[in-house]
Amino acid sequence: MAQRNASRRGQKKGESFMDYSLLFIVLFLVGFGMVMVFSSSSYEANLKLGDSTRYLRQQLFASILGIVAMMVVANIPYHFWERFAVPAYIGSVVLILLIIPFGYSSGGATRWLYIGPISLQVAEVAKLGMILFLSSLICTLGKGIRTNKGFLLVLLSPAPVAAMIYIITNNLSSAIIVMAIAALMLFVSCPDYKRFFLLGLIVLAVAAIVIFYVVQTAEAHVDDLDFRGARILAWLDPEAYSDDTGFQTIQALYAIGSGGVLGKGLGQSMQKRGFLPEAQNDMIFSIICEELGLFGGIAVIVMFLLLIWRLMIIANNAPDLYGALLVVGVMGHIAVQVILNIAVVTNTIPNTGISLPFISYGGSSVMFLLIEIGLTLSVAKGIRLKDL
Amino acid sequence: MDDKMNHKTYHRSKTVTVVFLCTLMLLGLAGRLVYLMVFQSEYYTLKARELHERERSIKAARGRIIDANGKILADNKTVCTVSVIHSQITDAEEVIAVLSEELGLSQDYVRKRVEKYSSIEKIKSNVDKAVGDTIRSYALDGVKVDEDYKRYYPYDTLASKALGFTGGDNQGIIGLEVVYEEYLKGEAGTILTVTDAKGVEQDEEGEERVEPVSGRDLYVSLDINIQSYATQLAKQTMETKEADHVSILVMNPQNGEILAMVDVPEFDLNNPYTLPDGMDASAFSEEKRQELLNAMWRNGCINDTYEPGSTFKIVTAAAGLESGAVKPEDTFNCPGFIMVEDRKIRCHKVGGHGAENFVQGTMNSCNPVFITVGLRIGVERYYSYFRQFGLLDKTGIDLPGEAGTIMHKMENIGPVELATISFGQSFQITPIQLATTASSIVNGGRRITPHLAVRAVSADGTDSKSFTYPVREDVVSAETSETMRYILEQVVAEGSGKNGAVEGYRIGGKTATSQTLPRGSGKYIASFLGFAPADDPQVLALAIIHNPKGTYYGGQIAAPVVRQLFENILPYLEKKDYNRT
Repeated sequence: MAQRNASRRGQKKGESFMDYSLLFIVLFLVGFGMVMVFSSSSYEANLKLGDSTRYLRQQLFASILGIVAMMVVANIPYHFWERFAVPAYIGSVVLILLIIPFGYSSGGATRWLYIGPISLQVAEVAKLGMILFLSSLICTLGKGIRTNKGFLLVLLSPAPVAAMIYIITNNLSSAIIVMAIAALMLFVSCPDYKRFFLLGLIVLAVAAIVIFYVVQTAEAHVDDLDFRGARILAWLDPEAYSDDTGFQTIQALYAIGSGGVLGKGLGQSMQKRGFLPEAQNDMIFSIICEELGLFGGIAVIVMFLLLIWRLMIIANNAPDLYGALLVVGVMGHIAVQVILNIAVVTNTIPNTGISLPFISYGGSSVMFLLIEIGLTLSVAKGIRLKDL
Repeated sequence: MDDKMNHKTYHRSKTVTVVFLCTLMLLGLAGRLVYLMVFQSEYYTLKARELHERERSIKAARGRIIDANGKILADNKTVCTVSVIHSQITDAEEVIAVLSEELGLSQDYVRKRVEKYSSIEKIKSNVDKAVGDTIRSYALDGVKVDEDYKRYYPYDTLASKALGFTGGDNQGIIGLEVVYEEYLKGEAGTILTVTDAKGVEQDEEGEERVEPVSGRDLYVSLDINIQSYATQLAKQTMETKEADHVSILVMNPQNGEILAMVDVPEFDLNNPYTLPDGMDASAFSEEKRQELLNAMWRNGCINDTYEPGSTFKIVTAAAGLESGAVKPEDTFNCPGFIMVEDRKIRCHKVGGHGAENFVQGTMNSCNPVFITVGLRIGVERYYSYFRQFGLLDKTGIDLPGEAGTIMHKMENIGPVELATISFGQSFQITPIQLATTASSIVNGGRRITPHLAVRAVSADGTDSKSFTYPVREDVVSAETSETMRYILEQVVAEGSGKNGAVEGYRIGGKTATSQTLPRGSGKYIASFLGFAPADDPQVLALAIIHNPKGTYYGGQIAAPVVRQLFENILPYLEKKDYNRT
């Protein structure tokens, strides 16, 4: 208690720590994202809407809103949020349930709620809500987490939310991300490795069985497979399914492959001109590769590595477990999405809609990611400089 | 406190583990990027380019067909193809109005194409260049006028069946045009333009052009002067004799070059799909119309067979002399008929020719003489000569659709069949086969391949390919050949072929009159085969008149045709030879 007081006093004396490196990396990614959203969307937006900056303006609006929210959150001591653990969980559930009567559809999926002029993708809220909820839960459990009961409680408490995201909004990717965030936070807060090793094996085994089942079924009757099964087949041989399920993947591969080492130059992508549908969304990384080449693609990966490294530093120097877990949650969220997105775009895993954090077009995503960064900045403020 | 520190330690190490694993995965993905963007780059770049580029082909100018004098028989003229690009049209109504007006098409027809959502839609091809230029001068957005070549035949109907014509894509359909397609067509060029997914051209990407390579000019042995004159003669004969059709073949018996190939009625190469005069195309079904067109395009000189009749006695005589079955001085007696087994075969002269030697028998075209010679040769020997002379094979002329010989199987030939074969009946050959076989008998015994194409020369004249054709030596001995020339000269000088004689020239030849099947129909084929000079044949002509009205004897109606032809072309060829040397 004395220590905490001391640290607070330290902050008041102007020793407050603002992690400018993190801020810089995030702002760079947001800015770069806007450039790429404009580049990848302007041609089609001009053709279809007669307004080449439509997507850019919406992204800019969401980003400004997000940055303001980030700065506000960064200046609120993070323990303020501890009391909102249960409301965050319940709020997420309610928002998802609201989709049923009030949901707004786009591209065949119902994932958005309209609040005034702003559309909100509820899954993005749920991810933040889960980070807040689990951080508190794990702190409350204390040593109890080492028991199997505690372990399962942390692992399974997000399951209903993930299931609802999957069933109600038909969004498998977000459901997986919510579970992955939970698993990572649990991993960091438990001292052992064995259970996670087992968990990993189970996940791998299930994946292998699903793939095996899909391939077997495909040989017998293709028609029995739903679109996810078809996506697995398209992943194994995208060119054989290039007219339907493999279409997006193939177009992304054309974009990436044709970029070569140096790329075609900013704005010079051909694939964005109607070949790769909605290039500004989940597949934006392929346009980055096409225009900026291997160097551009690797540079983006390096920026994300720096971001993750920076978040690790903050997590490991957080004043307490709650702060550390908040940052680990945010780090997990970003890392999982980056890895899955690039893996999908390069056809390393089957196609599933995951956006690239800060860069892909999508207001809710950018806004809530920035709020999460605000949380980590707030945690970073609690770090005593002498610890570094 | 200790506990808390302990917590912190494993939290830290586990966070580091997470970051380490993430880093590993991101490095793995970076490796995947390197694989895709360095090692697979070429493959995907190619695939992407195929996807982005639209290919418009530029037609190559088709090679010309040029006669022995350098006169162009088949040429190209520039025409235009008018197309619209849907996405680039700004004023659809004006486009529809202008195009339907200028191209003489209905508004509905044009509207349907203008409003069709496609990357490029052809409105009309083979538009006159002048009309194309007019349309271009309107400078309408989304209207493309591409220049193109269309085959053009300056002499319309001349040598139509030999030259052939081309189809809508300028590909050969019949005649030389189809046989020498590979040489004539050239290589189409391409314009590659980069387009977006809807086919809208991306101007800033520019276009890539691969220039077309023009086809090779085909130099043929046809001589436009001989061809024109022969055509004129054939037409005249057809009209005066009210014949069904008349064929005239003129060739060089020494090397097989065809100088003229006439089969009237010919058709207009510039309008090959127009039925002959007096036929209304709309009156026929599609199938019937095609049948009529095929009949119109048919080249009687090579596509049809007929019973050669007495001109075939040249072959029997050559076989008899070569085998030693007969000598020129052998004597025969013709009572007006001959008994072969139980059959009485008549001579065309009812009272008979009486006593005559073999030369006289040939001059008289006496059937009993040739039947006797044929029987002396015997079935097996006769058949082997038939084969040796090349009569069982096609001549190999460089025109499509040559018909084969229709002949008995050897085991089915009895004395009666042999007797009829001996004077040219009961089997069928093509006119070109007869002319070629006669050529090889009188040229010293070399079986030549009849042909039209002499050489193919690239458009810039730098590369010339001469065609060579097989020649088979010793078909008959030089001695037999010389005897045959002597006998056939006698036929024209004093025998049945005297109407083929030309003053001042030594002509050899043989007449024929054959009744068409079924016998008794009253339809005849009159023909005459002549060559000159008789002692060293440089030109051989075969005239065949199908179903003449009135007089139908070859010696009376076909021989004069060849005579008139020779009267004109022999001095011409001499002069040409003189000029050449």
